Amino acid sequence: MYDILVISSMKNLMCYCSRIVVTCEHNAKGENLIMTPLSVKICSPAQEFPILEKQNWLIHLHYIRKDYEACKAVIKEQLQETQGLCEYAIYVQALIFRLEGNIQESLELFQTCAVLSPQCADNLKQVARSLFLLGKHKAAIEVYNEAAKLNQKDWEICHNLGVCYIYLKQFDKAHDQLHNALHLNRHDLTYIMLGKIHLLQGDLDKAIEIYKKAVEFSPENTELLTTLGLLYLQLGIYQKAFEHLGNALTYDPTNYKAILAAGSMMQTHGDFDVALTKYRVVACAVPESPPLWNNIGMCFFGKKKYVAAISCLKRANYLAPFDWKILYNLGLVHLTMQQYASAFHFVSAAINLQPKMGELFMLLAVALTNLEDPENARRAYAEAARLDRCNPLVNLNYAVLLYNQGERKGALAQFQEMEKKVRLLKDSPSLEFDAEMVEMAQKLGAALQVGEALVWTKPVKDTKSKHRSASASKAASLQQPLGSNQALGQAMSSAAAYRKLPSGAGGTAQPIKPPSLPLEPEPATGAQPTEAPAQIRETQE
Amino acid sequence: MAAASSSDSDSGRAESSEASSKWLDAHYDPMANIHTFSSCLALADLHGDGEYKLVVGDLGPSGQHPRLKVLKGPTVLTESPLPALPAAAATFLMEQHEPRTPALALASGPCVYVYKNLKPYFKFTLPQLPPNPLEQDLWNQVKEDRIDPLTLKEMLEGIREKAEVPLSVQSLRFLQLELSEMEAFVSQHKSKSIKRQTVITTMTTLKKNLADEDAVSCLVLGTENKELLVLDPEAFTILAKMSLPSVPVFLEVSGQFDVEFRLAAACRNGNIYILRRDSKRPKYCIELSAQPVGLVRVHKVLVVGSNQDTLHGFTHKGKKLWTVQMPAAILTMNLLEQHSRSLQAVMAGLANGEVHIYHDKALLNVIRTPDVVTSLCFGRYGREDNTLIMTTRGGGLIIKILKRTAVFVEARGEAGPPPAQAMKLNVPRKTRLYVDQTLRERDAGTAMHRTFQTDLYLLRLRAARAYVQALESSLNPVSVTAREPLKLHAVVQGLGPTFKLTLHLQNTSTARPILGLLVCFLYNEVLYALPRAFFKVPLLVPGLNYPLETFVESLSDKGISDIIKVLVLREGQSAPLLSAHINMPVSEGLEAA
Repeated sequence: MYDILVISSMKNLMCYCSRIVVTCEHNAKGENLIMTPLSVKICSPAQEFPILEKQNWLIHLHYIRKDYEACKAVIKEQLQETQGLCEYAIYVQALIFRLEGNIQESLELFQTCAVLSPQCADNLKQVARSLFLLGKHKAAIEVYNEAAKLNQKDWEICHNLGVCYIYLKQFDKAHDQLHNALHLNRHDLTYIMLGKIHLLQGDLDKAIEIYKKAVEFSPENTELLTTLGLLYLQLGIYQKAFEHLGNALTYDPTNYKAILAAGSMMQTHGDFDVALTKYRVVACAVPESPPLWNNIGMCFFGKKKYVAAISCLKRANYLAPFDWKILYNLGLVHLTMQQYASAFHFVSAAINLQPKMGELFMLLAVALTNLEDPENARRAYAEAARLDRCNPLVNLNYAVLLYNQGERKGALAQFQEMEKKVRLLKDSPSLEFDAEMVEMAQKLGAALQVGEALVWTKPVKDTKSKHRSASASKAASLQQPLGSNQALGQAMSSAAAYRKLPSGAGGTAQPIKPPSLPLEPEPATGAQPTEAPAQIRETQE
Repeated sequence: MAAASSSDSDSGRAESSEASSKWLDAHYDPMANIHTFSSCLALADLHGDGEYKLVVGDLGPSGQHPRLKVLKGPTVLTESPLPALPAAAATFLMEQHEPRTPALALASGPCVYVYKNLKPYFKFTLPQLPPNPLEQDLWNQVKEDRIDPLTLKEMLEGIREKAEVPLSVQSLRFLQLELSEMEAFVSQHKSKSIKRQTVITTMTTLKKNLADEDAVSCLVLGTENKELLVLDPEAFTILAKMSLPSVPVFLEVSGQFDVEFRLAAACRNGNIYILRRDSKRPKYCIELSAQPVGLVRVHKVLVVGSNQDTLHGFTHKGKKLWTVQMPAAILTMNLLEQHSRSLQAVMAGLANGEVHIYHDKALLNVIRTPDVVTSLCFGRYGREDNTLIMTTRGGGLIIKILKRTAVFVEARGEAGPPPAQAMKLNVPRKTRLYVDQTLRERDAGTAMHRTFQTDLYLLRLRAARAYVQALESSLNPVSVTAREPLKLHAVVQGLGPTFKLTLHLQNTSTARPILGLLVCFLYNEVLYALPRAFFKVPLLVPGLNYPLETFVESLSDKGISDIIKVLVLREGQSAPLLSAHINMPVSEGLEAA
């Protein structure tokens, strides 16, 4: 490919040069440009040739100051004087063309440069760069390899080769080249690309290793810090994630990604006010960010300002209509507001976009139960139970519905399924079960006469649950008689913090009051809102 | 970063209190007609009378009329034309004799012009570069008429392809010529020896053997052929020659030539090379991955501005110390040295019309200027010690004097929260209507849901019925029958009364061509006239797009438009394969008439 390129441009060299001259001639109104033999004869024999590089320094100074108009004027003058032989002028002209988006023209000019001085790796590098920008990665690789022969120790060639290989999905080669580049000279960009390869291959641990090294090398690069923080967040190592995000924010207090990620972590810990203050900064800088408004909405939800939550979420939804997470949250808030018909629409829209998530079907089922459609609710629960792997709530809610419908056998089966999931989850140390869910399960267990459920032996943190019931005392006045569908819906709103599911993505807990249990005439239902599935979108990017 | 964010508040402060500004406005002339770079500005006591003058190597309004200007106070003292554009200007002491008046050196093209007492004193020209021996040999042969121009051309091309040493201009020019012109060119030039000349790209001074303020200095030149030269201040001989991997753009020197010195050269390939006294080649290399736009040494830190709007600090060994993001592109940089308070800081002229002064990464001061500053210089001017001289893109000259009481204080190290944090979130308020609707949904949610679901089913049913009907009567523009998979797309062009109607017919089957199709137009004959309302379609090759053109004449002058139906039929079948309704535009040609 490359050989052909050069040969073809060799042949075209004359026409390139002459073309340049022609344009100059045109602009200079034909003065002192006539290089016909006649004019040569007229000139004295002692005529000196101009120094080709005479104004290179001026061209360069204009170029680095981004004064492209002045630069072009000097280039034109220089090319006119040297009849298109000044390589550097053509080179800068090509760079400017490329900046202006005329990649094809720039490529041709770079090829001309490569002909004027074939031993210069720089020209080849630029040819390759233009090819790369045109999306011709294979051709770019060939030219880069050619350039690498001329200049062995150039990190840029290795780095760019690596990037080309990434686009060609040849990750092993890309990996090697990027490591070569790092070996020659370390640059943040190379680290970022190397990390990207590991992410594309789905190897988070290796990516973290790379980013760690990168942060060590350049500790003030906020992009590196943020990415590392987000990776830790993805792996659930919250302490380190927060540390790196915090560092990023120290160097750049307006870093959009870092604020959003740190804010979502604060939300997880219930620091809604702090998170909101942080979000204000982003709201000023990036007012049209859907994840931002989603997170703000869920902050308000956490603070029980439901109307504000809905308006923020609706704005997020307006900005990103196909984001199922926002729709999920909208469904959740509407369920809390007992607007079941709206909730149904949001949840079903979310399901259309994300048909593989058990929790969504569970929400749909709750909405349907409240819309007095138990038949469809059961089907939704069945689908939720089929899809879900580790959320015991799905099975608990299903069991409650079945129990309410008088199907003790089915309820028992779901209850056992739930116990199985709980046993599995107990092993993970960071997990704590929501007090209400435990209570509910115990009551249901009693009603189903399966005896004391031993699965709950892991003690629930008392402080937290106490705090909850205290904060929720007001909501008790809203209580409806047990057993009715209203009560079930009310229970929906009392979903509690249950974020740390291994599945990660937006776990929501919703313990449901056991219906018509004679033992408990007036349960203190905590209308504790769900800690929202604070969306951490950037992690996926 | 912290410093960058605090710049807003800082500059705001500077603006709000003109009185508390650190600078006195000494002079502003927007029409001074000075177009130059920082490297072409120099301050010196040229006459030894204690009155410092400003030397400007002026490029002229469009780089056309280079001039050497010497300014005293706000006025131009002398002005003399230059033979070529000045690349750099420097003042230096040539010898120990009294009176110790500094000489002025101006680099331009391949020469350094040295002035004493503003009189031309010496002209130093860069030595010729050795020509390629093969090339030399070839031209010698030509001289003796041993080879013809065509052979010469071939041989020269061969040299250009492989040789390390580039060809001379003469050979390059020769290679460009047409066959017919070669003969004349050769006969005219064969007697001349071939030359290769390079030019100076940058220049600075280096103390010879003493560190004193008024010690004798050498000139350090950077050349286009990637070399650095150190010149003897008296004899103008080359004391040292160092080579670089790229062309130097900015130079920064510290130390003394006879003792030990460090040379930092920012080059065109985006790297900065650091050399020491005994090294012929660069000792350290800083790769910026961007173009440097300025290089300033502050004590032991090299401050580099890049064209990605950042300022970096590096140690002398090339280790990165810090990075500061700028609010706009950096155009020029220079050193601010306040001897009385032993302060050294970096001034950076930005494209947004501000000059930022940094001490390390802390922003000290922001100066707003009426035009974009393109060159900067700080030092003793006239009899005032701390004077800032700026020239602008429009050719203006700004002179400011630093107040003697002014103390640069670093902005607080820890910047507070960004101002945006105090802004209230823009959350819409709840309306009465919203509350009412919410209440209603709570009351009658189930009924609403059921009604909606019923209506939704009905709507779907209707849509399905309409679709089936359309399919049955071939009313759609895409035919999906197994035998004739076709696509039709119509375009109307023109303003009227004559329109051009183009039907794009495409056979979407993978392999089978279609033969024997007919096209028929149905239209209101009162309104439109078509030359042929019914014609045969040629054989349709799969995948190709067949544009079928026809003209439509609008007959009505009342500005009415109608629908023209296009039917694609199969020979011998009455039901159309597909059909299209074309909404004709109103004939504007008639309306205008």
